Amino acid sequence: MNSPVDHFLTEQGRLQTPVARFAAAAPDVQEGFAQMIPLSVPLPGRQYAFEVDLDACTGCKACVAACHALNGLDEHETWRDIGVISGACGDEAFVQTVTTACHHCADPGCLNGCPVLAYEKDAVTGIVLHLDDQCIGCSYCILKCPYDVPKFNPRRGIVRKCDLCSGRLAHGEAPACVQACPTHAIRITTVAAGADSDCADFIAGAPDPAHTRPSTRYVTARVGLTWQDSAAGDAPAPESAHWPLAVMTTLVGMGTGCTAAAGFGPPALPRAELWLAGAAAGGIGLLASVAHLGRPLRAWRIFLGLRRSWMSREALLLALWAAAALAISGTLRVHDVARSWQWAAAAIGIAGLYSSAMIYIDTPRPAWAWRHTAPRFFGGAWVLAAAVVAAAAPAAARTAAIHCGAALAAKLAAELALLRPRAGVDNPWLRRSARLLLGPLRRLLAARIAGALAGAVLLAAAPQGLRIAGLALVALGEGLERILFFRCAAAPRMPGVAPA
Amino acid sequence: MKRALERALRARSGPMTDEMVLAPARFGLGRLPARLAPAGVVDSVCGYCSTGCSLKIHVDGGGQALNLSANPDYPVNAGMACPKGWEALAPLAAADRATTPLLRGADGRHEPVDWERALLVFCAKLKQIQARHGPQSVAFLSTGQIVTEEMALLGALAKFGLGIVHGDGNTRQCMATAVTAYKESFGFDAPPYTYADFEESDTIVLWGSNLCIAHPILWQRIARNRRGAEVIVVDPRVTETAQVASVHVPLRPKSDLVLAYGLARALIERDGVARDFVAAHTAGFDDFARFVGAFTPERVRAETGLDEELLQRLVRALGRGRRVSYWWTMGVNQSHEGTRLAQALINLSLMTGNIGRPGTGANSITGQCNAMGSRLFSNTTGLLGGRQFESPEHRGQVARVLGLDEARIPATSGWAYDQILEGVEQGRIKGLWVIATNPAHSWIQQERARRILAQLDFLVVQDMYVSTETAQAADLVLPAAGWGEKEGTFINSERRIGCVRKVARAPGAALSDFAIFKLIAHYWGVGDLFSRWSSPEAAFQILKELSRGQPCDFSGVRDYAHLEARGGIQWPWRADESARGEPAAERRLFADGVFPAAGGRARFRFDPPRPMPETPAGPYPLLLLTGRGSSAQWHTQTRTAKSPVLAKLYPKHAYVELHPADAARLGIRDGARVEVRSRRGAATARAKLTAALSPGQVFMPMHYPETNRLTLWCVDPFSRQPAYKACAVTVVPREPADRRAKVNDP
Repeated sequence: MNSPVDHFLTEQGRLQTPVARFAAAAPDVQEGFAQMIPLSVPLPGRQYAFEVDLDACTGCKACVAACHALNGLDEHETWRDIGVISGACGDEAFVQTVTTACHHCADPGCLNGCPVLAYEKDAVTGIVLHLDDQCIGCSYCILKCPYDVPKFNPRRGIVRKCDLCSGRLAHGEAPACVQACPTHAIRITTVAAGADSDCADFIAGAPDPAHTRPSTRYVTARVGLTWQDSAAGDAPAPESAHWPLAVMTTLVGMGTGCTAAAGFGPPALPRAELWLAGAAAGGIGLLASVAHLGRPLRAWRIFLGLRRSWMSREALLLALWAAAALAISGTLRVHDVARSWQWAAAAIGIAGLYSSAMIYIDTPRPAWAWRHTAPRFFGGAWVLAAAVVAAAAPAAARTAAIHCGAALAAKLAAELALLRPRAGVDNPWLRRSARLLLGPLRRLLAARIAGALAGAVLLAAAPQGLRIAGLALVALGEGLERILFFRCAAAPRMPGVAPA
Repeated sequence: MKRALERALRARSGPMTDEMVLAPARFGLGRLPARLAPAGVVDSVCGYCSTGCSLKIHVDGGGQALNLSANPDYPVNAGMACPKGWEALAPLAAADRATTPLLRGADGRHEPVDWERALLVFCAKLKQIQARHGPQSVAFLSTGQIVTEEMALLGALAKFGLGIVHGDGNTRQCMATAVTAYKESFGFDAPPYTYADFEESDTIVLWGSNLCIAHPILWQRIARNRRGAEVIVVDPRVTETAQVASVHVPLRPKSDLVLAYGLARALIERDGVARDFVAAHTAGFDDFARFVGAFTPERVRAETGLDEELLQRLVRALGRGRRVSYWWTMGVNQSHEGTRLAQALINLSLMTGNIGRPGTGANSITGQCNAMGSRLFSNTTGLLGGRQFESPEHRGQVARVLGLDEARIPATSGWAYDQILEGVEQGRIKGLWVIATNPAHSWIQQERARRILAQLDFLVVQDMYVSTETAQAADLVLPAAGWGEKEGTFINSERRIGCVRKVARAPGAALSDFAIFKLIAHYWGVGDLFSRWSSPEAAFQILKELSRGQPCDFSGVRDYAHLEARGGIQWPWRADESARGEPAAERRLFADGVFPAAGGRARFRFDPPRPMPETPAGPYPLLLLTGRGSSAQWHTQTRTAKSPVLAKLYPKHAYVELHPADAARLGIRDGARVEVRSRRGAATARAKLTAALSPGQVFMPMHYPETNRLTLWCVDPFSRQPAYKACAVTVVPREPADRRAKVNDP
């Protein structure tokens, strides 16, 4: 050693190997949790479920960290969430921690929505399993789950989630969270499965359990618990913008609107231009949607979910429509294509647009209910098709501009309805949407309105050469509308769980 | 056919599936992801709190940590850990680790330098300051977070080698009160209990302790209580612990001493005194009994705000219990009269004879992982091994063990933390060496503390991270290895000595604190004085010798392997005891009623209560309470903030809890941004409305740097521990008209 500094740096870099130090054999058995899991697999008609003793939970949150460590999750990945709620039980104030993971529902939203059948509910255990190598990373299950359970893993480009440590349970070992709870507040039990499942007393403040029928049992001996609307308390954070979906749904709306106008509109409309615009918008939109997939190369399986998933239906219908639109617009003389073919192609486009809207309507997010989503999707198609006509066909411009303006006004009114949730009627997540729009999203909302107004004015009043700018502004406004649609759609979560 | 199609269309296996498949791991670990199968396991005591849980570190063939799980075979935690423990490895990989010494250049920026230069600058600067301003002009602030071997080497080096007069540790902020109380009452800083006492009690009093959040694994021990114990929580807030207790005593903040004295009076009245024990083993009871006569039920009710029924219930429980244990944490220690309050609990336990038997005791639950190591061996305000600088006999013992000239050992104790900072403020201290602590965040009245640090001629910070508020202010940063990157021992709350193991390489040129101290000794020119401290384990043998003959004597512990084999060993474990066999897993003190004080008697200590130093009134009508936020946060968050998993378990930004009635009066809605103001500073936070506080109180967790901008520079006069938990503030809305108010919440 030349210097003391070198000596200590070398020493610091040296680790003792296990062989050198730990010759002693350690026992191979894991004991002590037998009473925390059922003795055998569930009987027919029953399934495994988490049982959480709310009174025993003291809020240490070890379950989250132990699940992370023992399942080898990625650095930022957690399969368990923690909600903290303040409330009262009679006169007594209390703070309750709600630990929550996958509820292995009787009618799982994730499974029903998955376009590639990457979920299955185990026939014996009732565990909702995710097939990691099947998943295309579309994240639709995340939107479908009322409890924000599936988590996107960016390293793998897929979704992963709690499998109730099925690999441990199968060998009589307790799940990680059960092993790690210092007060034994989490255990595994069996509950009635399928049609017999009962979730009426799920947990106060949670999204409506009737939707998916979660199996987790929250147990408390306290009666008369009430707590604050947890969604009202914390500072609201906008949801993800899902920009590929925002681009896709805006352009697909524009495209299907254009082809519908070409297919069903009066002969005065510039059909060739409309087919071309429709095909172009549809093509770009569908390409953009691929950017939303974590594993696009597996997407060929997307037809598998046709029986249940609106996403499968949307993908098939829109692919068919885009191909037809491309074929029709590629024909040099559009007027030679039989009207019936044009009608059929336009109708498939509308069905695709309908499926597209249904993807969102069929989720538990209240800001995406029919009355909020349908005006945006169908209104958007109308607005943009009218704008295209106004910009592209001088002869029809005036009428089209009026159409566009009127549709925009009606659409804006429907959009702004989100700002005024009805007291006592709308649930906390809808109120959160309003708070988002008036809070962190207010500039985006202002830009969206400005784009619509400026675009409509340009289309109505500007000379023909400038109307293309009006179309661009209207389209921009519609794109912003769609970003707002995604960002303000507060996801229902378990009580007290803050958005990530 | 159908099956073949199904196989082709649904990928049930593949690399992504395989990644998560569990396979049996050896070493009693159950199933783990196959890719994380350990080649071995290493037991190591956790480096956060003083519970002292053992973690099983899973290592690869090269001895590098892969993962960890809670150790099922350790008497403390029996296979459990809190989230900080589960995530103990994550902070080691943080991007802001200090990897090279940094020296502040002429342009004011930190420049990387090599160790040689850093050490030369360290020695030259501090020697220069000492030469110009006298030996007392350089001081150090140490920590309860490093291993005992390092702590002792630091203390010995600083005081006997570098001639530093004043040094203290951040244990002043957490344990000084308990230390002073025990020393005065028992004659030695000797927490008498073992954790099994949680299980053995029939009446458990948690005073100023949110055990569920601050020490979750100790709550586990209460959950295992086999006597159906009544759990009484004394706390102004409805904490997580108060909620699960059988009795919550929501007294007015800082009326604790009145309550404790009132309980003593009531117990005397109903003949709850263990006369024989008191006569045989204590001193000063008669004076105490006369003194508490003034604490009538009327006075107690008036000052604590508690009702008669609750007080009666409390007295009955304390009087009836055969095994009553009193436990306290920061609600007692961090008070303007904390020492007397801790002693009031000691008095209750002494007068009822609830000490030295299973399930009893006046028991301070420590804060930091090695606060006890610091208390015994930091060589700051007490001489090594729980001794006193003032005692020539003690100085002689230490000089003999260390082979030093006795003249090198100062004959007076140095200043406490607050006095050192005030010394800087008054220009008497010019150079400061801060090791593994973050006063620019953690000290009371933060703006003043930061101003004081800025006044120094030379500030050295030795830390794992370059990003701490204090490291940012340093003139020289010395990069330190962290827990898991070095060896040594911690001593936990129940006096259990346990091993910490090296399972990871430190990044860059970071060195263990032990190595840094050795290098400083060498470069200062006093390396020869510490040649026997050749490694942490060699230092452990010196510590054993230093403990010999003291109440903390652990000369019977052989070495690290012995500690590992026994699941840690509680002090005392003397050489003569070890000759007779092995220590039991759980041992408590004072079974014979003999205390390490004059005449072997414990002493009743008491003083009249004093009003809190700053009462809410006028422009500052609310009382700010502070404390632990969640079990996933630790102190100033230099480590816990580095784990993405832990970060999901607590609010990211500072928040202030307010009672809904106060909030309504102040026009503050749940979730609104507010400003909390005190006479000393202002902090922005989110309002969190909760009825877990009484009106007139607000609560802020200590982990956010904002909180100490508000706190008051006030210390307990005996322990000099800061009183973090009471100062006057006001809360004002930050957003004049809360936009969200327009959304019609029902």
